[in-house]
Amino acid sequence: MQAKDALNYDYSVAKCFTYATILFGIIGMLIGVVIAYQMAFPELNYLAGEYGTYSRLRPLHTSGVIFGFLLSGIFASWYYIGQRVLKVSMAESKFLMVIGKLHFWIYMIVILTAVVTLFMGVSTSKEYAELEWPLDIAVVVLWVLWGFSIFGLIGIRREKTLYISMWYFIATFLGVAMLYLFNNMEVPTYFVSGVGKWYHSVSMYAGTNDAMVQWWYGHNAVAFVFTVPIIAMIYYFLPKESGQPVFSYKLSLLSFWGLMFVYLWAGGHHLLYSTVPDWVQTMGSIFSVILILPSWGSAINMLLTMKGEWGQLKANPLIKFMVLASTFYMLSTLEGPIQAIKSVNALAHFTDWIPGHVHDGTLGWVGFMLMAALFHMAPRMYKKELYSKKLMEAQFWLQTTGIVMYFTSMWIAGITQGMMWRATDQFGNLAYSFIDTVTVLIPYYSLRATGGLFYLVGFFMFSYNMYKTISAGKAISSEPQNASPMSA
Amino acid sequence: MFHWLERNPFFFAVGVFLVIAYAGVVTILPDFMESARPVVGKKPYTVLELAGRQTYIKDSCNACHSQLIRPFKSETDRYGMYSLSGEYAYDRPFLWGSKRTGPDLMRVGNYRTSDWHEYHMMAPTSVVPGSIMPAYKHMFSNTADIETAYAEAYTVKTVFNVPYDKPDMPKLGTLDESKKEVMAQAALIVADMKSQEVKDAFKKGEIKEIVAIIAYLNSLK
Amino acid sequence: MNMETIRELQAYGYILFTIFLAVILYSYLYHLYRDEKTGTRNYEKYSDIALHDNIDDAPVEAISPLNKEKD
Repeated sequence: MQAKDALNYDYSVAKCFTYATILFGIIGMLIGVVIAYQMAFPELNYLAGEYGTYSRLRPLHTSGVIFGFLLSGIFASWYYIGQRVLKVSMAESKFLMVIGKLHFWIYMIVILTAVVTLFMGVSTSKEYAELEWPLDIAVVVLWVLWGFSIFGLIGIRREKTLYISMWYFIATFLGVAMLYLFNNMEVPTYFVSGVGKWYHSVSMYAGTNDAMVQWWYGHNAVAFVFTVPIIAMIYYFLPKESGQPVFSYKLSLLSFWGLMFVYLWAGGHHLLYSTVPDWVQTMGSIFSVILILPSWGSAINMLLTMKGEWGQLKANPLIKFMVLASTFYMLSTLEGPIQAIKSVNALAHFTDWIPGHVHDGTLGWVGFMLMAALFHMAPRMYKKELYSKKLMEAQFWLQTTGIVMYFTSMWIAGITQGMMWRATDQFGNLAYSFIDTVTVLIPYYSLRATGGLFYLVGFFMFSYNMYKTISAGKAISSEPQNASPMSA
Repeated sequence: MFHWLERNPFFFAVGVFLVIAYAGVVTILPDFMESARPVVGKKPYTVLELAGRQTYIKDSCNACHSQLIRPFKSETDRYGMYSLSGEYAYDRPFLWGSKRTGPDLMRVGNYRTSDWHEYHMMAPTSVVPGSIMPAYKHMFSNTADIETAYAEAYTVKTVFNVPYDKPDMPKLGTLDESKKEVMAQAALIVADMKSQEVKDAFKKGEIKEIVAIIAYLNSLK
Repeated sequence: MNMETIRELQAYGYILFTIFLAVILYSYLYHLYRDEKTGTRNYEKYSDIALHDNIDDAPVEAISPLNKEKD
């Protein structure tokens, strides 16, 4: 093969998704901080009438960060990594460029419509799948477009072997497609009865079945949106930024299959002690514990990649972000299985420990990895130095403090709440009324919200740093090979 | 075999898909028949209750309230008999929730009354001092969407054979017949309420969301 | 089909899966190391796909009729 002159990777779609990541990150996290403060100060519920209550905003926060911030970050890095590891430019195919642009615009329309409809209270109530059927169809369209983009690019590749990141992207694509389709099976009521709202629908499944499908989805949506594509990123960005080859490529392959085999069986742990069959619950527990192995396989592989190169941790804040991300990944993949053990779950389920666990993963692992990815991509996409290393360091410490405040307060709150619910007096009567278990948590809610605020402020620092890099960064003449260049 | 998979993205993708789909087939599909059977005496929701259920979903009450009582003494003492699978047979979607910022509501109809709910939705701290629940004043001014609720009942009756119009079961009939039933059920609740706004609207034939959601909450037993 | 039969099939499905999983994963591990030992393929070199990823870098393994894999 001969490299053509003047052929370059085309990052136009990746840039669009980068802007979307920052935009939706701000929206989603801002709403998150608002609802966190609402739990400590209920008066904050009345800032926007009907549209500002905790309950209206909560689906907006979850959907906003998962499908807005996270997904656009995943797409941005796909349109960046995909070309590079396949050694083929988007510019070589008009078709793929059109698909990419279409993918971006349909995505923007879907997410913005989702924001509006969720404010209006149009919801199917299923967590992380609240959108009504017309939007579900739009989501399917955009997912198919992404599929075209992945397999189209693979079709014209120069590199014969698919790099491990590609495996994870393919798995994300397939996993989410399957889960989303099955969980959102619904019957539009207007087309059966001829009356009522045209966009209303009713779930195909009832009761316990609906719950099983939902948590099969809910758990695995976490797998295939919070874990799999983020691993795809770290397998590319950490070696590239540090200049170190993956510690053991074989381990990465093995962990991949381990994760694929095990993850889908673990969804039952969301339904322990519920009315789903016992064996589903037990299996959910067991597989959740086994899941530690492939998860740690990937995480340890990443940490060992830095073997002998720990000096970089001091010199390069991006490495710091990524190493902390894999550490948080280990923490939350250990915490999750612990919560999935039946006796622990009896205490932890329905309490604040669960959102605490989720945020370990999302803030520490996902958020840090995404921001590091965007930081790594910026100098290469815009041919500019990163604007400020100092700001990056400050952001790192502020956000790390925020996360620690978040999860410690939620651990304490969750366990306190769980213990108080089951506490009895000497005669075997319940010791506390429900409201006692709420008021006692208010200080922890304040602490948590403040931790969240720290993280949000850090995200603003990140956004500002990105903005200044793009608008006023020092130009660089050639693409950096490894460590991203940054001004002090 | 492994070489071949590593070299063929298409078959690789098929392999990944089979591996992840298998878990779903074995865990989920087989139980569909059994757990969908309603317990004896369980009735589907009336149209007014469904309208209330839609309001419950619209305002995401399930973000803070569960509807699932686990088989522990501490839970049955607090909320009543633990949940059975067949009790959810007519719940589309299920509303188990995943977080108890507020108490479980599975059997709230057993121990709360219409006027308690009215005060509570208007100003939660007036009946539960220290409550962090927001007030839902807009439920007193928004009109419940009875037609969509009817559409939902009609759909589940037609598509999923939910036993409306069977002996001893709620009546559905045509939209007009159903509206009469709804007004009759709503009249009882409105009579228990204090809000003049709601009463005046009801005289004009309008049912406010608060009436529907109280009907729904009262039906949870 | 009654519930009994379904449960039985479910149990078989589950057991077969577990055995299948163990067999596949171990044979995969074996395959990875054997290939490296016999020199068929060096898996670790694929790490370079990420490290040398400029558009004008030579691919680690190019797609071309010349070095078509014979497996």
